[in-house]
Amino acid sequence: MAKAFRASAGIMLAPAVTLIGVFVLVPMLLTIWLCFQDWSTQTPFSEASFVGLGNFQEIFGSTSVGRDFKTALLNTTIYTALSVVLILPLSVVFGLLVYQREVAGGTALRTVLFSTYMVPMIAVALVWSKLYSPSEGPLNQMLGLVGIGPQPWLSSPRSALVSIVLLNVWQQVGYFTVLAIAGLTQIPGSLYEAATLDGANGREQFRFITLPLLRRTLLFSAVIAIINAVQVFEPVALITQGGPVGSTNVLTYHIRRVGIERAQGGLGSAMAVMLMLSLIVCVSALFALVNRRDSE
Amino acid sequence: MSAATRSLARKRPSGRKALLATAMLLVAVASAFPLAWMVLSSLKTPAETMQVPPVWIPRTPTLEAYEKVAGVINVGRSMWNSLVIASVTTAGILVTSMMAGYAFAKYSFPGRSLLFSVLIATMFLPPIVTLIPLYRMVGSIGLNASLAGIIVPNLANAFGIFLMRQFIAGVPDDLIDAARMDGAPELLILYKIVAPSVAPAIAALALFAFVYHWNSYLWPLTVLQGNADAYPIVIGLSRLLSYNRGAVNTGLVMAGATLAVLPPLVLFVFLQRFFVDSIVGSAIKG
Repeated sequence: MAKAFRASAGIMLAPAVTLIGVFVLVPMLLTIWLCFQDWSTQTPFSEASFVGLGNFQEIFGSTSVGRDFKTALLNTTIYTALSVVLILPLSVVFGLLVYQREVAGGTALRTVLFSTYMVPMIAVALVWSKLYSPSEGPLNQMLGLVGIGPQPWLSSPRSALVSIVLLNVWQQVGYFTVLAIAGLTQIPGSLYEAATLDGANGREQFRFITLPLLRRTLLFSAVIAIINAVQVFEPVALITQGGPVGSTNVLTYHIRRVGIERAQGGLGSAMAVMLMLSLIVCVSALFALVNRRDSE
Repeated sequence: MSAATRSLARKRPSGRKALLATAMLLVAVASAFPLAWMVLSSLKTPAETMQVPPVWIPRTPTLEAYEKVAGVINVGRSMWNSLVIASVTTAGILVTSMMAGYAFAKYSFPGRSLLFSVLIATMFLPPIVTLIPLYRMVGSIGLNASLAGIIVPNLANAFGIFLMRQFIAGVPDDLIDAARMDGAPELLILYKIVAPSVAPAIAALALFAFVYHWNSYLWPLTVLQGNADAYPIVIGLSRLLSYNRGAVNTGLVMAGATLAVLPPLVLFVFLQRFFVDSIVGSAIKG
């Protein structure tokens, strides 16, 4: 019987394991191998020649290759940090608005918020590029109504990256709100009852019950938000092409430009490996932080 | 909400309710506004889209922009390509995820947890990390510039396996054992017994996969290499922007965006219960 099950386990797993193996794990290992090679993406893998850490010296060097990569790494870091810092608190606030039962309409609000997550990023980018339009766009018009002067949005190196963060937050916050609601439903109501008996007000209850018990949910949300943020591509590829003056040149866009369009496969792979390493460090640090708080 | 917070709320002034309602309304408006603007702009005349200050409601709504979209890109063809890409990929993901999810949930075999961990780890790998070698691999097996090249690498994914394992683990063993006693083969048990018991999760996964692959841009753009016949609608859209660059193209772009947004949004409106439940389920259980 056990033997028969082992055979059918093999059959059941074969399609998924083969596909993920061939199309995810093998390319990942190839990326790691290619980061030590000089290789043109136009040629077979057999044409690659070993250069040790040469690619890394180049992408961290002082030539234009190095400058562009370091800018892209910095831009991605800023973009990711800003996205997480905006999305997490908003998701909790919106989650509380949906979850509360004092005013009706929570579920309708959830539907509206989550629907933006269904919109293709390419459409989000197109629509927002028109919303941001300095003269005929509605955003500057609305700012004018409350006495704020017109903003350059995507056309100035100082505000372009933040403008892309904002459209990203708009698209994704509904998904994270649903995650926050999932976390809120897990908090036992008895805790709030006890706190009320002890005379804790709403703010204290939020600080000492809601937030600490949402920590696991927020950790999960932070990890997903980071992974999503480093993938930003469409608004940059379509609207800004990395500009103005490199201010929106982010890693996914830059790696594709170097590795595919310029066919510098070795250099692009070295950049991809740096991205992977940064993610591992960043996510491990987050977990360590939350676990340390847990043990306190 | 607990009885205590409710009784607390009663003691609070009704100004709190007004404040809450206002906040909810503001958030809903901010969230819905860009899409409303998109639809409204798609109905404007070219002159209205250029006006400063901007016109909010078109005076004489017109479908002119939609007709123009059809003149710039092959809308029917692109929508069909998107439909093929999203449906075939989704079907593949359902089959591979259910089979693997069943194996991880109901069989014990050596290396099970290690294999599962390795597969799940790929869920956190941004696609750009594998893009360069994958592009070369798909090219060298002759699948580049084709729909097959877009579809084949995506026929299995870790999220699907994870979701299916979570839900199949909840199917009672007795049910499966009874079918085995009757001599039913495992694949038939999966199809006849397990699948119906996890139907909502299957629906959720199907919707997720469909919307994700309808919307996906980076991989199709990379693998198609300018083969316009195979363009999905999202790539067609990007050509609308470069058409007539600098001149009046706002209505055109908004009409195209509206067309591309409709299918995933309609699916969501009708089936949102499954979406939300499965996110909640995977977050809590994970």
